[in-house]
Amino acid sequence: MLDVYLQTLLSGLAVGGVYALIALGFSITFTTTKTLNFAQGEFISFGAFIGVTMLLLLSGLASTTTAVPSEAASAWRYPAAVIGAGAVAGFMGILIFLLAVKPFAGKGGMNWVMSTLGFGVMLQSLGLAIWGPAPVMVPSPLGDNVLRIAGAGVRPQELLVLACAILIMVALDLVMRRSRIGKAMMAVAHSPQTASLMGINVNLVMIGAFALSSGLAGVAGVLIAPIASASLFMGMGFALKAFSGAIIGGLNNPRGCIYGGFILGVLESGIGLWQAQWREIVVFGLIILVLAIRPAGLFGQAAVDKV
Amino acid sequence: MTPQSKALNAALLCSALAFSSAAYAQEIKIGFNGDLSASPSAQSGQAGVLGIQAAIEDINAAGGVLGRKLTLVVRDDLSQPPKSIQNMSDLIDNEKVVAVLGPTNSGNALAWKHIPNQKKNPSIGCIGSATDITKPMSASADNYMYRVSMVDRAQVAGLIAYAKSNPKTKNVGFLVETTGYGQGGLKDLQELAEAKGLKPIATEKFGVNDTDMTSQLNKLKAAGVDTVLVWAQGTPIGQLVRSMEKINYFPVTLTSWSSDNASFYDTAGKNLAEKPVFMRTITEDRTPKQQQLYDRLAPKMTSKSAFSFAAHCYDALMITAAAIKQAGGTEGAKMREALENLQAPVEGIMKTYTKPFSATEHEALTASDYRWTVWKDGRLVSYTDDVVKALKPSDFTQ
Repeated sequence: MLDVYLQTLLSGLAVGGVYALIALGFSITFTTTKTLNFAQGEFISFGAFIGVTMLLLLSGLASTTTAVPSEAASAWRYPAAVIGAGAVAGFMGILIFLLAVKPFAGKGGMNWVMSTLGFGVMLQSLGLAIWGPAPVMVPSPLGDNVLRIAGAGVRPQELLVLACAILIMVALDLVMRRSRIGKAMMAVAHSPQTASLMGINVNLVMIGAFALSSGLAGVAGVLIAPIASASLFMGMGFALKAFSGAIIGGLNNPRGCIYGGFILGVLESGIGLWQAQWREIVVFGLIILVLAIRPAGLFGQAAVDKV
Repeated sequence: MTPQSKALNAALLCSALAFSSAAYAQEIKIGFNGDLSASPSAQSGQAGVLGIQAAIEDINAAGGVLGRKLTLVVRDDLSQPPKSIQNMSDLIDNEKVVAVLGPTNSGNALAWKHIPNQKKNPSIGCIGSATDITKPMSASADNYMYRVSMVDRAQVAGLIAYAKSNPKTKNVGFLVETTGYGQGGLKDLQELAEAKGLKPIATEKFGVNDTDMTSQLNKLKAAGVDTVLVWAQGTPIGQLVRSMEKINYFPVTLTSWSSDNASFYDTAGKNLAEKPVFMRTITEDRTPKQQQLYDRLAPKMTSKSAFSFAAHCYDALMITAAAIKQAGGTEGAKMREALENLQAPVEGIMKTYTKPFSATEHEALTASDYRWTVWKDGRLVSYTDDVVKALKPSDFTQ
């Protein structure tokens, strides 16, 4: 029975790592600009296909219509594809900020909700025109053999996602709390006007935040592709769950978002042991509960309005 | 432009118009309405159109039907029900097609099946497999919906018969996805299992985008399930066998025919893809006729496993042509009467159809035309074992 629980925990952490990575992206733009990129899901799908294209270009191998040959992901090519997808998605993040968020950010109203959603629809249509609707299986650079840990099975790529999520989280945490750039971001998040008066280029920090958050989505896309297979429809589901994770953890706390992502993953896998069809009901029920009891999330700081 | 050349142009235009309208009057238009571009199943739609085009070429080369050539009018429904409904009206009312083949997605056929019935314009499905597509609108009503393809309920009957007859099967479990497709399958599974006296000891569900089903599988394992009946789409079945490997639990796995998709094969990987057993109409052990059509279409086909739809649609067109010939015209009600009582056998790719339809039977292919199939070295091959050999047609009753 112990191996069953261990399997549930491992499987949950593996899925939770994906949620955590994307949840972090939501938190970064929210803390700096008080807006969210609702095209995050499409950035994941788009990033995955940038990765697929790069793997094929770098290896010079032809793809069948539905799978990338496994040699294409060997050695340095997969990390290169991850970085490449992060860079392209980061650049698209700058575009979405300049075109769809900046004109509306800081103003009353929710125009940026519609404009980022619209940007996502455009991105998806563009992707469909380039790559077509069929899902593409991407090989893992670490092979596909199941690893056994005390009777529970896990795939190398799932451990890789988990490791990357933790690594990126720690690195970002250090940058945010220790470096001048991080402090500038936190200052902008606290009050753009004051930050601006202190000589911080608020505009640049906001652009950076969108580039970083979108870049993370692109990286996540290439990391998830060997688990879920790359498809232009894959991002939405993950992004919705990741957003739920961010809400549970607390949108204004990057660490909380990560915890939220992991909690959600383990919870889903645990509910599968009980009644899998009730999963969505329990998950979203929990979100409502959390919002009712702790509106700022489990790890979020309640905003205090001073007058 | 000089006045002379203007006059010449006008004369040319007039004669061209006269010529084309003369040809127009002679041609019989057939419609295709289905997804050709928007969803993963678009490849099936594309293969279907290739099959219809091949059949029309063959008929026209032999002089057409009633001395008139056949032409095909193709409409892409982008897998969206509203677009598919609009296409139906456009094809029947504006293009004046005499019959519509398709669609790719079962849901779209269910969304517009009232239209062919109201307009008395036969529709011959050759891709979508949902059981209810060919059911009449009401018990005694004339039914213009026909099909030359697989039927979900007949496959379910096959899977249940296998589980029932397998002496090694002690405990059966059902595993389905939470979409409409999975739930429809579960309903068929439960109804037919009860009718055949088969009691599942566990039923589990998973999401279509899930990447890990180990929790559900661990429950089945704990319950002692040795045979699972799976109803889901290709990719999630691929994830399911991957999860089976994680916990090293491999019960006898009988699945819906979606395991024939390339997306299943790619997700599962070469070795795990060989686990499920399922039914489909064509394996890669093709008959000479099937091989001939395959060789003819292969250069244009995007997905090899979609060939079955090309063959179904080829046959659907042949049966339609035979009905027009017997009816002596293209009037809908007469075509329906002819379809339901075809006198001459129709030579098709799947088989020779002798009275494929009647007033009550609207399926040209039934369980006895299906093949047990598995993946072997990347090919879809016929599967047989002692259980399959012992199955009799009476075991497939629904």
